[in-house]
Formats: sequence, structure tokens, C-alpha cells
Amino acid sequence: MEEISDQLNPTSDTSGIMPEFDPKTMRSTKPGLKRLFITTSVLFSFLLGLPFLWKSVEIYRSPLPFHDIDSLSDQIESTPLRFHCHFHAVFVGFPSTDPDNLRSQIQDGINQLTHPSSQCGSCDFSLSVTIQNSDEQCSETLAYNSSTCSYRCGVIKRNVFGVGLDDSVDESLNDVFSSCSGHSGKMYSVVVVNKENANGEDEVKAVVGKRRHAWIVGSGLEERYGDMVARVSEIFVKVFMNSGREEDSIHGEFMPVGSDGRIVLSFSLLNSNPRDWVYDWDFQRIDETFLAPVTKALAPIANISVESQVLYHTPKSSFSSWDEKLQSYIFRTSDLPFFVNSNEWHLDTSAGASGRSKILQFVVYIPSGGECPLHLQLSNGKISKTNGFISPMWGGVIVWNPGNCDKDSERPIRNKISAQDLEQIVEVFLGQFRQLFGFKSEAIYTSGLGTYKILPSERGFTEWELDFLSRKHTCFNLHSCSTTLGSLSRLVQSLPRMIIKDEIGEQVKYSLKAAKLAQSNVSLGGYSSSASSSRDARSLAENAFFHPSIMSVSYFSYEHCFAVYSPFFLPVAGHIVIAALREWKRYKQEKAKYLKWLTRKKTA
Amino acid sequence: MARLVRSWILLLILQSFLVSIAFGSKEVEEFSEALLLKPLPDRKVLAHFHFENRAPPSNSHGRHHHLFPKAISQLVQKFRVKEMELSFTQGRWNHEHWGGFDPLSSMNAKPVGVELWAVFDVPLSQVDTSWKNLTHALSGLFCASINFLESSTSYAAPTWGFGTNSDKLRYGSLPREAVCTENLTPWLKLLPCRDKDGISALMNRPSVYRGFYHSQRLHLSTVESGQEGLGSGIVLEQTLTVVLQPDTTSVERNTQPSWSLNSLFGRKVVGRCVLAKSSNVYLQLEGLSGHELKNVDSEIEAHKLWKNADFELSLKPDRVLREISSFLFIFDIEKSSDSEPFDLGLTWKRPSKWLCQLAPLHASRFLMGSGNERGAIAILLKETESQEKLNLTNGRCTIKVNIFQIFPWYVKVYYHTLQIFVDQQKKTDSEVLKKINVSPSTDKVSSGMMEMMLELPCEVKSAAISIEYDKGFLHIDEYPPDANQGFDIPSALISFPDHHASLDFKEELGNSPLLSKFKEKSSVRSYTEVLLVPLTTPDFSMPYNVITITCTIFALYFGSLLNVIRRRIGEEERFLKSQAGKKKGGLKQLLSRFIAKIRGRPIEESSSSSELQSSVLSSKLIFKIILVAGAAAAWQYFSTDK
Repeated sequence: MEEISDQLNPTSDTSGIMPEFDPKTMRSTKPGLKRLFITTSVLFSFLLGLPFLWKSVEIYRSPLPFHDIDSLSDQIESTPLRFHCHFHAVFVGFPSTDPDNLRSQIQDGINQLTHPSSQCGSCDFSLSVTIQNSDEQCSETLAYNSSTCSYRCGVIKRNVFGVGLDDSVDESLNDVFSSCSGHSGKMYSVVVVNKENANGEDEVKAVVGKRRHAWIVGSGLEERYGDMVARVSEIFVKVFMNSGREEDSIHGEFMPVGSDGRIVLSFSLLNSNPRDWVYDWDFQRIDETFLAPVTKALAPIANISVESQVLYHTPKSSFSSWDEKLQSYIFRTSDLPFFVNSNEWHLDTSAGASGRSKILQFVVYIPSGGECPLHLQLSNGKISKTNGFISPMWGGVIVWNPGNCDKDSERPIRNKISAQDLEQIVEVFLGQFRQLFGFKSEAIYTSGLGTYKILPSERGFTEWELDFLSRKHTCFNLHSCSTTLGSLSRLVQSLPRMIIKDEIGEQVKYSLKAAKLAQSNVSLGGYSSSASSSRDARSLAENAFFHPSIMSVSYFSYEHCFAVYSPFFLPVAGHIVIAALREWKRYKQEKAKYLKWLTRKKTA
Repeated sequence: MARLVRSWILLLILQSFLVSIAFGSKEVEEFSEALLLKPLPDRKVLAHFHFENRAPPSNSHGRHHHLFPKAISQLVQKFRVKEMELSFTQGRWNHEHWGGFDPLSSMNAKPVGVELWAVFDVPLSQVDTSWKNLTHALSGLFCASINFLESSTSYAAPTWGFGTNSDKLRYGSLPREAVCTENLTPWLKLLPCRDKDGISALMNRPSVYRGFYHSQRLHLSTVESGQEGLGSGIVLEQTLTVVLQPDTTSVERNTQPSWSLNSLFGRKVVGRCVLAKSSNVYLQLEGLSGHELKNVDSEIEAHKLWKNADFELSLKPDRVLREISSFLFIFDIEKSSDSEPFDLGLTWKRPSKWLCQLAPLHASRFLMGSGNERGAIAILLKETESQEKLNLTNGRCTIKVNIFQIFPWYVKVYYHTLQIFVDQQKKTDSEVLKKINVSPSTDKVSSGMMEMMLELPCEVKSAAISIEYDKGFLHIDEYPPDANQGFDIPSALISFPDHHASLDFKEELGNSPLLSKFKEKSSVRSYTEVLLVPLTTPDFSMPYNVITITCTIFALYFGSLLNVIRRRIGEEERFLKSQAGKKKGGLKQLLSRFIAKIRGRPIEESSSSSELQSSVLSSKLIFKIILVAGAAAAWQYFSTDK
């Protein structure tokens, strides 16, 4: 009302005073600010409300430590994990020489054999050398971080070697070095024995034991120092450090361990046609006598459970051909992809296994009467000795032919596979199991410098192989943990509308913590502790990545949000913005009029 | 030499003794198969497949198995199941024509869809978690949506009305589950011979699913070994009950249709499952009272039994068993082979009629009332021509009836409205109601359950129970995809605890799991129909409509309020006055006013400048359009680029 009266006044009574006043273009009073103020305040309150609205439609995202994840993966990429190993070389029956010189020679030899860019899970070694002469006097040089465990001079007698069996030698060596147990990191030793009585034979025998010891026995070795040094360093690097496998023959990704650190070994006996014959086995005995030590030995690496079943009416999916020369049915290795019949072999994923356990299927296939005996033929035309094959990360298949391929009379009875046959089958199983882990199953390791006899362990895996496995496993776990966390962080960052529960954040946090712990354990040399904490790190990372709630990728999308809020906010915002603009425009206009009048007044 | 021989003999004896210890004491897993065929009075044929798999008590359950399915054993181990029954059924059992008072019908007549009950061997607080985990495991194992039974609104814990008295029992059913081959295949996978060999080879899918009724059932129970440190044994019983219609080629309308296994299933049995301990085919003929023979022993008489003036069997039965009202022909299929398949046939020569044994009362259930607000459920028990009714208590002949019923929570039952009519006369609760146990439902939390025991006089003609309910409202999220179809109320279970059905054979049975199962006394039970309750279904676009309408109203209100606030009345009046001063042609003035309204500014005076103005206007208009288009494009870009 005020404004109106203000405006009314000049038109009514200023005409006399100001003859030039034009009401169309000028005004005599200051334009009012009231309406402009109201509209702008409404506009601003809306603008101020926007962040609150934004906050209210926001979804909960637990803060993830993106930076830590990146730094972990960077660290694992840039600096490969190296475990501490201690090598000890003992030369028995050698004339006293300078051990320091010998030590540097061996060190050079080891450095030559190891790759400069050593892969993850290799050894960060220290070396000590002892020389014991024929009078049982020693000269030794110890590693810098000298351990409390040292070789007591004169304990190893030369005449022990070559007399008894290799196994007893291994045991006696273990007694010699048993004081080193509990030592941080693992100690590997090579004993070179120069025998006195060189009765013409120039043979050098090299044996790698079941524990962490190897020995080379020969005569006249004092003249062949260079050769011995090369062989000692070869044992250290090729056998103890790389476990006799070729460089990168099987990558760490093929470690058949489930992400929760469990393996289920599922054994199935397949009677392809029970009308011809039915075979059964006493698997419980096998489990107790043969498999229990293996599962116990592998306990630091994986939690292994064993189960078995017998299935019937399970033909293989491809045909075999009769070979007249071999008098048997032949299945070529090139056809192996068509052997496993996933339609009829109901091997069943185990309900006892939790979701992310690795299930390894081991199958004994008994051919039907129409295809007996069945043999697998290698690509070079020879018959496979084991009559079995493996499929990496799936398991293995063994074809077992019944003794004589005669059909049972009329009514088949349930036979039992004899104990000897079962033992053979189990041996092949163990070989296949070792192969799935990337080990060879030959008792002899051949390198350029000669052959080494490798003593097999009744537990399936020797101790130095287990060490190697836990090194590799730790490395693989940490690698997989970092890649999983990396993908999780990339996923989370790329989907801004994804709900992330606190549990996921916690799991990521604990996984990072476990990974850090594993790394520090590695540097301290704790093999089993680093393996177990790396297992935790990996399983936690996988749990976070596969958390059920992560699938709820917010169906409350931007489109939905827009559809719900626009019917109100769009028209209202239109009104307010237009009103504010109009008022502002009008205010400018009126102000211009007022200014114009003012100048006119001044000039007048 | 003699000493050597003696020591050898000694060794042999010792060895055989050890072997007998090793194998004799250790029971082995056993499997047996059987098929029961039974012509029904209404020209149909019932085929009942029965497979039993026994695992002896052992500590290695779930780990090492020879015949028993590993998956089931692991299930029992993991969820500590004591007893469990799972059935998949399609079609309804016709109690009047197919029997209601024999072990076959009381065990194998199941409600439509999936029914699951289980007793657990865990502490009471863990029973519900075990049940939930079990439903998930089973739904994975049998390719069915059994996991819907997980939610606490879909299962109940019966105390005594179900027959098994245990507080660790859980019961749930899914009436709407469609049952088909994908459920049968995993079921067959549990059999050692699957459907490759033996009796199960008859299960030709098209002929099985063409039938009037089929129910596949899996019942497992653990048997305590009683020995310290030894686990319990498991008995797994799998049955498939099919009612088929033989192809009628017979000329006469009155005679029963003749059939053979081949004509029923399209397949023949070419041999037994070699893993089965016993594999028999049974043929049960009821109502042959005319051929009541005194001594079956004599060869001619026995021959007369299966080849007579009324009917003829195509094969000679290995044994014949007599029951009170029926004959059981036993065939061993061991002799059959590829060249000589087992194809049992039955040819009727004369029209014959018989009645099957009926349950004491026939039960049916229906809905009353109309509209979407309230209604009533009625259960009607009607007298049948059953022979066995007598049950004298306190000198009075009575029939005891147990009724067990689950109500979903959206059917809000008022238990005080329970009314019982006997012979159309309203009775008070104390007169007929012996026992009642009610657990009311909680909205969205648990389903309601009613167990009651009625005691009716023997001469009862009909009894009716009615109970009223209100229909609840569901949250919009809780409606199933086909909400307009209505909601199912699971079948009620009517059982007669004092009536026991069993086949009482005069002869020695031998070792047949199926027959020993039939010989066991089982209480007579029948399931009622599934009810379909239509609930009010909302328009599912409603929330958006509501949002849009309210928002529009709010926006209108807000806009007009804002306009009112910034209105300048005096100025407008002056403007109108000045307008009124200048007289113009009516149409032109209207037009200019309209334009002014659109542009939102006072009407231009000079008509000379209008041309220029309009060009400016059009360029501005184009600019505005471009602005809007640009905004739209930007929105599109940002909304899709995510």
C-alpha cells in the first residue's frame, strides 16, 4: 500500500514543480524492495534447502580406505615378497681351505642362478659354510645375522654316508641339525662328503632328503671344488628355493585352494555299467591310512576334508576304439576333453562345503564290459602308465580296468577293489594331487650338472616342498587379496549410488590389517603364521567383495529420484525463479526511472 | 607237513573269523525298489513306486558312501534332521474313488504343491534357524522355491494336531508350487540306478505327467544306533504315486479297461536295478470276494486266482498274499532281461465293480461370504459308507477327528466365532470339542495355527465347523507378481487318531520294505482342498499417482501464493484505466491484451515499431526454445553418462 501511495503522489502533485517529469519513464520515489526481498528470500531458502534434500536422498556408504588399498597393491606390485631362508653348506673330509673364499664362491653361484628380478615368494638367503677336514677339525664362516644354531664340529662322520640307506642318512642328518628347529626362517643344509677310500669308482651321488637336507657323496672331490660349489648352489636354488620346478611352469593363480582356505577332496568311483560288473571300495581305510597324513601335512596351507561316493550308470561321453595290436580299447589324449560326461556324472557339489571352498574331484572310472580294457594313449603312441589324467583346478580321472575283463555270470555281484589295487590308485591320486599343486612326481631331478635323487615322503609332500608351497601360497594370497580389494575399490568408486554396508567396510579394514600382518610375518620369517594371516586377508577380501548386500546396487536411482521429486520441485522452482527474475528486472527498471528523474532534477 | 596244514587251517579259520567280524558286524548300505499297481474303481490305475535306501549307523556319514546319496546324508548331518518329509504333488487325491482308509492313501495322498515338515535334533532355540537353512538347501537340491518357506509367516510349529508330537517340529506348505520334471530329475538322482535301470526306468516323463494325480515324496528318518560313539543310521524312503488312465480300447463300456505296463507307461522293465536288494512288482486287487478261496496252496486253485472268468494276468505271480478284502500278487522281476522284458498286463473279461475302503468321514472345505472385507471358512465332514467306525469310549460310539489348519496372517481369523454344527444343530464347544490349541497370527510376523480334536458320535450324518475372518491389507511390497489371482490358504489336515489303516496279511511277508511299511499301523488322514482367497489388490501405480497429484496441488498452491504476495493492485488498476481510455477495435484490443499477457509487459503504443518488435520477439522465442532444448539435452547427457 505504501508503495502505491508513493507512486501516486508524484503523478498527482509534482506536475507543477517539475514540468519535465514524464511518468512513463521517470519516477520520483525510490523503488520499493519489499517484494524483491520476499521473492529472493524464498529463492534462497529453496537453494539452502537443496543440500538438505540432497543429504536426505543420499544412500549410506561406509567409508572405504581407498588410499590404503592402493598403497597395498602398489607395495605388492613393486616389492615382491621375499622370505628369509638360511643355507648351510658343510664340506666334510676336505682339506682346510679358507671358508670365506668358498662362501663367496657359493654366493656367486647362487646369485647367478637366481633371477635378478626374483619373483614373489623366493628366498632372501643368508649363507654359512663349514669345512671339516679329515681330522675332524673345523673352520667355518657364519652368516652376518649369525644364528644361535651352529654346526657342532665333528658330528657328521664320513663313514655314515653310503653305508646305510638314504632314509637313515636323512634321519641322522636331521638329528645333527635338529638344534636349529625353532629358528626364525628355515635352515636348509647341504653336506658334501669326500670319501677316503676311492676304490676306483668315480661316481658322485647326490640325494635330497625328506626334510631340509641334501648330501653329495663322492671320492676325490677335493680336486673338483668348482664342480662341487656349482652343485651346492644348484641344490640351494633349484631344489630348495624353487622346488625343482621350471620357471613359471604353473602360475600362482593355479593354486587349487578355495578363497576360504578350504579344499574338499571328493572321490568318486564310477561304475559305468553296473550290469556288467559292480565294484565297491573301502574308502574309509584309504582315508585313514593314506590321506590323513597328507591332509595333516597340508594343514598350514589349506583345511582339507575328504569325502567319497560310488556312482552307477555313468558312461563316458566319447567312444573309444579297439586296437588289435595292443589288444585293448584306446582313448587318445587328444580326445580327453570329451571324456568327462557332465550329463551323467552326478559328481555333486558337496553340500557340506561352504560356498567358496575349492572342490577337487578325483574320479576312478571303471569301464563297462563293452570297452574293457580301456587304456589312454599318449600323443606319441605309447600307453599311459598311470592310465589317468588331470584337469587343472578341476581334479583328476583314473581309468581302472577290472583284473580280467570277463563279465560276471548272469547276475553281477558286488566286488571290492583289492587292497593292492587301491594302493596303486591312491598312489596315482597323490601324484595327481601333487601335479595340481604344480609339483613333479619323479624321484629324480635332472639338471645340467647331474641328477639328484629325491626321497619321497610318505606324507606326499616333503618338508622343503611344503615350505615352498607356503611361500607361494602366502604370495598368491596376498596378490589375490590386493587385486580383489583393488577391484572392489574401483567398483565402489565407479558406482556412486551403490549402498555399502558397514560390514563391508569392516571386512576391508580387517583384510588390510591381516595383509599387513602377513607382510610383517614374512619379513620375520614366520612361514605358517604368514600363510595363515594371508589366508585370512584373502578370505576377508573375498567376503567383502561377495557380500550379499553389494548386489543391492540401489534401485533408488537418479531417474527414480527425479521422478519422485520433480512433480513438486519443478513447477515450484519455475514459479520462484520467474518471480525473482521479474522482480529483479522490475526493480532495475524502476531504479533506472528513479535515477533518470534524479538527474533530470539535478540538471533542472 | 601235518603241522603246516594244521596251522594253515587254523589261519584260515582265524581269517574267516576276522573277515566275518569285519564284514558281518558292519552293516552295509541297502537299497530296494518296488512297484505297486492297483486298479481303481473309476477305471483308472494307480502306480506306486517305492524306493528305500538304508544307511547303517556310522561315523562317516556325509563323508563316505556307497549307495546312499551323499547329498542327503550331508543334509542330515549339517542341519541335524531327525525326521523329514518333502512332497511335491500335482492334482487332488480322490478320496471317494481311490480310497481313504488304506496305508497307501493315508501316507501318499498329499496336498497340492509342496509340503515339508521336519523334526530337528537341535536345542529348541536353534530349531528355526535350522529350518530356514534346510529350506534353502532343499530348494537348491530339488529346483523348487522351497526357500519361500523360510519366512516365519509361512510355517508353523504344530504341537499335537499333526500326529507327531514334538516341539522341534516345523511344518510348512506351498500350495502354488508348480511341480514338473525339473523336480523329478533331482529326485531320481538320489537313486543309485536313477532312471537308467530297474523299475524306475518306467518313469517316462510324458506318461507320468499325463496322469490325474502324481505325488513324489521323500521321507527320511534317522535311526539311533544305541551304541556309544557311533552315529545314527538314516532311512531314506522315496515314493512316487501316479494315477493313470489306461487307454480304453475295450468295446464294452461297463468292463474295466485292460492294461499292461507298456500301455500305461510306454516302457517295459528290462531288468532289475542290480544294486537293489529286492525288486518286486505288486498287483493289488480289491473286492474279489467272489473268489474267496479256502486254500491257496493247491496248484489249481492258485492258478484260478490269476486266470479266471473275471480277469487274466499275463504273467504268473510268484506269490499270492491274501488280505481281508484284497489279494496281492507278487512278481519278482529278476528273470526279466533285454530279450524277455517284464510286461505285466491285466485283462478284464467281465464287468466288475467294487468299492474301496473309505475314511470314516469325508472332509471338504470351502469359503463363505462375499466381498473384499470379510468372510468365513467352513470345514464340512460328511458321513461315508465306511465299515469301520466303532470306537467305544464310555459306552458311547465316537469318532475322534483331529483338524490341523494354518492361516496366513492376512486372513485374520476370529477364534471366538468358531461354530460347530452336528447334523445341522449347533453344538456348544464342550459337547463335541475335546481339545483345542490356537496360536493367533501376528501381522507380518507369524502365521496362525489351529489344532482341534472333535469327538463326534458314530451315527453322525454331517458335521460342520465355521470360523469367520477379516481380510488384512498387505503392504505394496508384499504382493506377489500375480496379486489379482488371489491368495492360497494351505490345505487343512483331517486325521482320525483312533482309526489305523494297515494291510493285514495272513501269510508271512518275507523281506519287503513296501509291505512292511503297509503292515505298520498308520492313522488315517486326509487333506482338504486349497482355498483361494481374493484380497483387495491395489493399483500398483498408485504411489506415483499420489505423488504426482499431491505435488501438483502443492505446486499450484505455492505458485498462486507467491503471485498474490507480489501483486501490485494499484498499479494494475491504473494500467487498466489507461487502457480503457484508448478505444480500439474489439478483436484487436483482445489480441493485444493477449499478447501483453504472454509477453508480460504493457501494450506497445506505436504500431509502427511492432514489426521490429515482432522480429525481436521471434528471436527471443527461438532463444528460449534453444535454451529449453539445451537443458533437455544436458539432462539426457548427464542421466545416461553415468
